[in-house]
Amino acid sequence: MKKLLLSLVCVLMLASVAQAKTLVFASDCTWPPMEMTDANKQCVGFGPDLVMAIAKAGGFKAEIKNTAWDGIFAGLPMGKYDAISSSVSITDERKKSMDFSDPYFEVKQGVVVKEGAAIKAEADLKGKAVGAQIGTTGFFAAKRIVGDAAKSYDEVGLAIADLANGRLDAVICDDAVAADYALTNPEYSKTLALAFLIVPEKPEYLGFAVKKGNKDALELINKGLKAVKASGEYDKIFKKWFGSN
Amino acid sequence: MPDKQEVRIDVSDGAAIPRKRDIGLFSAWWISLIGALGCIAYLCLAKPEPYLDILKFLPDGILVTFEVTILSILLALFLGLITGLGRISKNRTINLIASTYVEVVRGIPLLVQLFYIYFALGQVFSNLPNPADVAESMAAWPGIIVYVVVGVVGFLKDMPPLVAAVTAMGVCYGAYMGEVFRAGIESIDKGQTEAARSLGFNRRQTMFLVILPQAWRTILPPVGNEFIALLKDSSLVSILAVADLLRRGREFASVTFSYFEAYTMVALIYLVITLILSKGVSAMETRLNYYVRD
Repeated sequence: MKKLLLSLVCVLMLASVAQAKTLVFASDCTWPPMEMTDANKQCVGFGPDLVMAIAKAGGFKAEIKNTAWDGIFAGLPMGKYDAISSSVSITDERKKSMDFSDPYFEVKQGVVVKEGAAIKAEADLKGKAVGAQIGTTGFFAAKRIVGDAAKSYDEVGLAIADLANGRLDAVICDDAVAADYALTNPEYSKTLALAFLIVPEKPEYLGFAVKKGNKDALELINKGLKAVKASGEYDKIFKKWFGSN
Repeated sequence: MPDKQEVRIDVSDGAAIPRKRDIGLFSAWWISLIGALGCIAYLCLAKPEPYLDILKFLPDGILVTFEVTILSILLALFLGLITGLGRISKNRTINLIASTYVEVVRGIPLLVQLFYIYFALGQVFSNLPNPADVAESMAAWPGIIVYVVVGVVGFLKDMPPLVAAVTAMGVCYGAYMGEVFRAGIESIDKGQTEAARSLGFNRRQTMFLVILPQAWRTILPPVGNEFIALLKDSSLVSILAVADLLRRGREFASVTFSYFEAYTMVALIYLVITLILSKGVSAMETRLNYYVRD
């Protein structure tokens, strides 16, 4: 009997090892069209689609966990999730406290203004009310341009609402997100415009962040990402969310 | 004349106000204050990076916190006085309006009120017509009315974030303050009113010259307490991107990822501020002979 139990436990353990590993990805689903919440409260967008494709190609299971942006990096070392898939730009500052996958997307910072506003270049932003989501590269850009007057919001959507309500002159965020609000959003596309893109000193890429030293997760993600790019799946997902441009 | 009445309004959401017997070095107040200041000093000296950097990053946030708190309490006092008078008014309509205001505001969480006044009403106000157009369409009206309407429309349309935040906080605390005023006014013996009225004071004179000056003694300590509660609740305005103490702390943490360090400093600074204020309130109580018992 004892032997039977023991062997049963062994089999069970083996089975669980053989089973596909599950990686939990944290996403702040308030960043359309990269990560957003649909009518069924599901996290959808370019990011989730890419993660699922990577998981399929990389031979692991992926699970998306909707997580508030402010503090999303704090959960990584705590082990609340294995990776962050939330349009995280790879920066030197962030590299000090986490590891990044290969880049999966290039972004520039876009400046959203009210339709008809006289803001055409970075110099026009001086002394203006500029807002962005807290802890994003958009906020860092705002801070560099207008200093401590830069206003940080919990979500980019709140900053956009303040822009539409006339309390801000400009909002800085990833170009994909800026274009989504200014060009395709039914609520805002008529009143907001994408003024210009900030020319970066060096190209800015998005990557999946993992806990520092978590080589296993990084390997799985990179392997899957490579396969997804090679198979043309990446272009398909890109086309789905960004059309032909 | 009945015996001197003992009245105490207890509002419990402020900081604990030290009792008179809690004197000496080993009161909870001293332990907390010296502990908090000691922690700040030790952390800044022992680990200047990042603690000293955080301390240098926060001061303008502390100023904004005080700005929001003081402006809100002034608005709340004004609304509270009107509401308190309305609640004891014999005029049924005024009474009903004041009571409804208190009921509605007390039934909605402050955070929801902040969102409502800032984002919901903000959207409504931003859709108002341009002040210039309003002036044009009202050309037939008397000048002074046009002036007022255009001014109000212009103000609502471009309401600065700080004003919106202060309005939300003030409206919310005005309701609580109304209850404080009502209780304070009702604490004054009826004989005072009767005496004043029989001396020929009219109702308004009785209220403002006889009742309210005496009611202040009962009202002030809970007002001080509400001030402390409001200062703590003012951390909620950080959700409206108002750069207060908490928002500055979050901004620091979001760049450096030193969440523990940043929020430790923010918590300690809030603690030091409320401890000092609560001592101030208790000193005020003592001066007002609040606890004097014959």
